Amino acid sequence: MQYAAAEQAWYMPAAVAATTMAESAVASVERLASESAVVVFSVSSCCMCHAVKRLFCGMGVHPTVHELDLDPRGRELERALARLLGYGPAGSPVVPVVFIGGKLVGAMDRVMAAHINGSLVPLLKEAGALWL
Amino acid sequence: MGETSSSSHSRQDPCVLGYGFHGAIANSTPANFFDQEGAAYFGELEETFMHQVASLTRTQQAATTSIAHHGDIKPFPTAATVTAATATARPPPTLDIFPAWPMRSLHTPKEGSNVTADSTDDSESSSKNNSNHSSDQHGAAADMQSQFDQVSQQQQLQHKNMATSSTPRTGKTPDRKQTIRRLAQNREAARKSRLRKKAYIQQLESSKLKLAQIEQDMQRARSQGIFLGGAPGANTTSSGAAMFDVEYARWLDDHGRRMAELHGALHAHLPDGDLRAIVDDTLTHHDELFQLKASAAKSDVFHLITGVWTTPAERCFLWMGGFRPSDLVKTLLPQLDPLTEQQLVGICNLQQSSQQAEEALSQGLDQLHQSLADTMAGGSLIDDTNMSFMGQMALALGKLSNLEGFVIQADNLRQQTLHQMHRILTVRQAARCFLAIGEYHNRLRALSSLWVSRPREILGADEGHCGEISIAAQASQSQFSSF
Repeated sequence: MQYAAAEQAWYMPAAVAATTMAESAVASVERLASESAVVVFSVSSCCMCHAVKRLFCGMGVHPTVHELDLDPRGRELERALARLLGYGPAGSPVVPVVFIGGKLVGAMDRVMAAHINGSLVPLLKEAGALWL
Repeated sequence: MGETSSSSHSRQDPCVLGYGFHGAIANSTPANFFDQEGAAYFGELEETFMHQVASLTRTQQAATTSIAHHGDIKPFPTAATVTAATATARPPPTLDIFPAWPMRSLHTPKEGSNVTADSTDDSESSSKNNSNHSSDQHGAAADMQSQFDQVSQQQQLQHKNMATSSTPRTGKTPDRKQTIRRLAQNREAARKSRLRKKAYIQQLESSKLKLAQIEQDMQRARSQGIFLGGAPGANTTSSGAAMFDVEYARWLDDHGRRMAELHGALHAHLPDGDLRAIVDDTLTHHDELFQLKASAAKSDVFHLITGVWTTPAERCFLWMGGFRPSDLVKTLLPQLDPLTEQQLVGICNLQQSSQQAEEALSQGLDQLHQSLADTMAGGSLIDDTNMSFMGQMALALGKLSNLEGFVIQADNLRQQTLHQMHRILTVRQAARCFLAIGEYHNRLRALSSLWVSRPREILGADEGHCGEISIAAQASQSQFSSF
């Protein structure tokens, strides 16, 4: 996925790996989430993540995507996300997880519910991801 | 004579009054005819009397005390007293006997008719016995006193009669026999019906317990069925699927009833508050279906996604195990006029956003298909080579499990769409909206059943019949064209 690289280049230089080592996983997640208007934590082979990416693209939004299976700290980040979402069972997949304007929106069901009830678009506009 | 019998009478225990009575018979000469004609008979009945007497100890005591005051104790009156005691413990029908005694000569022809009516009396009195038995026991003691005052007067009369002539007695004996027999029959009938009632109540209690047990078992089996849903692979319908089908059928019935109720409420022009309650209930009812589908997706996703649970016509519109939300909104839009500007904007936005969400989910599912196909076809793009068959299968299984996620998300989308419609519309508009949704699906189901039962040409028929059949098919097809 080329999203991460493109977005990083536009915003600011990517954070050095050394500094992230000392951080806790949750802190990393929060930092990554606040780096872009729309951040999606995903797994490259996950179809639901693909669906959420297509949803944003369809709306004209270009989210920052972090593929956890391609990240060296992927496991920890996934665990941190699970804790943030309040997931109990380890069997169900955590991803995709969406952050808008640094705030947690949630998994696919929350994102879709937000879109249907009309709260997603204002949120995106507020975060500066949509201009129309 | 009277004195002797009275003393023996008063001396003796009320419980053994029967014996005392019997002894009194032996003692007193005026009762000779009893010995001749009725002694044996009374011997048989003695046991019956004993029974009754034991149960009416209290009343007997009252009887004996009141009788002791009147010195005229005769076996006849004593017997009368005993039967009076037993009889007055029972409701009025048997008490009719009392007025008959002083008027023995007049009553004899009546007795004949009474005997024939005995059988009906028995059932009546036994049923009355049943109901009045308990209440009577309280009133019996009070009644006793008044009755015995009456009886004692009658006894005095009888005593005079007996002293003068014996002919009235011979008339009385068969009456007494019949009376006593009838009383005994009444008692038997009463006892039998009491026993029957007890048995019936016991039966009811045991079946109530059994019902509770069965309900418990069913609950347990149902919850176990959900867990064991994935296990039976050989069956065409897994237990999860079968259970869903049953629950869906029940939901449909319930839905039909609610639609009728909503229709009635809408046309009855109920106040908005009441209508709102019904509309909210309808929305909750739809939510229940989504719950059912969610649990069914976890146990057997293919059952939902292939649409086996729906009718053929509904199946051709199937999208991810259900209706397509954007299509529904598009269908409903013209039905909901008049709409305000704001509402129109809201519904158009809803249509657009549901369409986008559907697109996203469809594309996600497409990717799943593609990925699965690649796995099945052999080497996968991301993973390592040297994949064994079982390894491939394991990978494919993992991918298949994502399918239930999609069905659940699709149902979530449907649920959110219905909720948003409910939010945008007013109460009356929402009522009409739900009615429209129900009617639309009803029509699809009707179409399905008509399609399934449509007359067709039977293939493989011989030459002779072919023509007839095709004519028949054509005729009925023209019938259908008018639909």
